[in-house]
Amino acid sequence: MELQLLAFAQARDLFGFSSCTVSCAPGDSPRAILQRLAPTAPLAHLRVALDAEYATWDTPVGAARELAILPPVSGG
Amino acid sequence: MQIDLHFTAGRIVVPPAAWPSREIGACLEFQGIVREGEGGAAVAGLFYEAYEPMARRLLERHLREMGARHPCTAVLFIHRLGFVPVGEASLFLRVLSAHRGEALALLAAAVDRLKQDVPIWKRSTPPAGL
Repeated sequence: MELQLLAFAQARDLFGFSSCTVSCAPGDSPRAILQRLAPTAPLAHLRVALDAEYATWDTPVGAARELAILPPVSGG
Repeated sequence: MQIDLHFTAGRIVVPPAAWPSREIGACLEFQGIVREGEGGAAVAGLFYEAYEPMARRLLERHLREMGARHPCTAVLFIHRLGFVPVGEASLFLRVLSAHRGEALALLAAAVDRLKQDVPIWKRSTPPAGL
C-alpha cells in the first residue's frame, strides 16, 4: 500500500521534505516507516498523526492514507 | 453553538459583529498580536503554518467540548498563516453568549487549548519550501 507522508515546521527541516509517498504494509508502525526513511532522525520530541488524528509511534498504520509528522505546536 | 473556523493567508479582516438572537448579552473579542521580542531577539514578524484539516477537526472538537461546559451561542475563530508582521494579528476570536461568565471562560479555555495540541506552528525564520 502507499502512504502519503507530511512533515511540518521543524520536522520538514529534519526530514528534508514537506510531503512524499512511501510503500508500506498495514502492520508497519510510523516509527518503522520513518526509521527506514531516516534511520538517525530523532522522533522523541515529535508527534505523529494518522489521517489527521493523533496516534502513537508504534500504532500500526492500518488503512491510513496519510501520516503527518508534527513538532510541538505553537499557534496563536 | 455556532462555530466558524477560518484560516487566511492575508491580513485578518474582522467581520462586523452581529447578534444571532435577542438573547445575546456578551460579545467578547480577542486578538493575538505578533510581538517584536518573540523568542528573545527582535523580529520583523513570524511565519505561521498549519496542518489545516487536522487543525479544523481538533478546533471543532475542542470548541464543542468547551461549549458543553461553558454554554455559548457562537464562536468565530480566524487564524492567519504565512508571514505576519509585528503589530498585526495572527489570531482573532469572537465569542457570543447570553452571559459574560460563559464567554470569558470559553475564550480563555480555547486559547489555552489551541497552544496544547492544535497543529499550528510559528517560527521566526521562513520555513523551507514556503
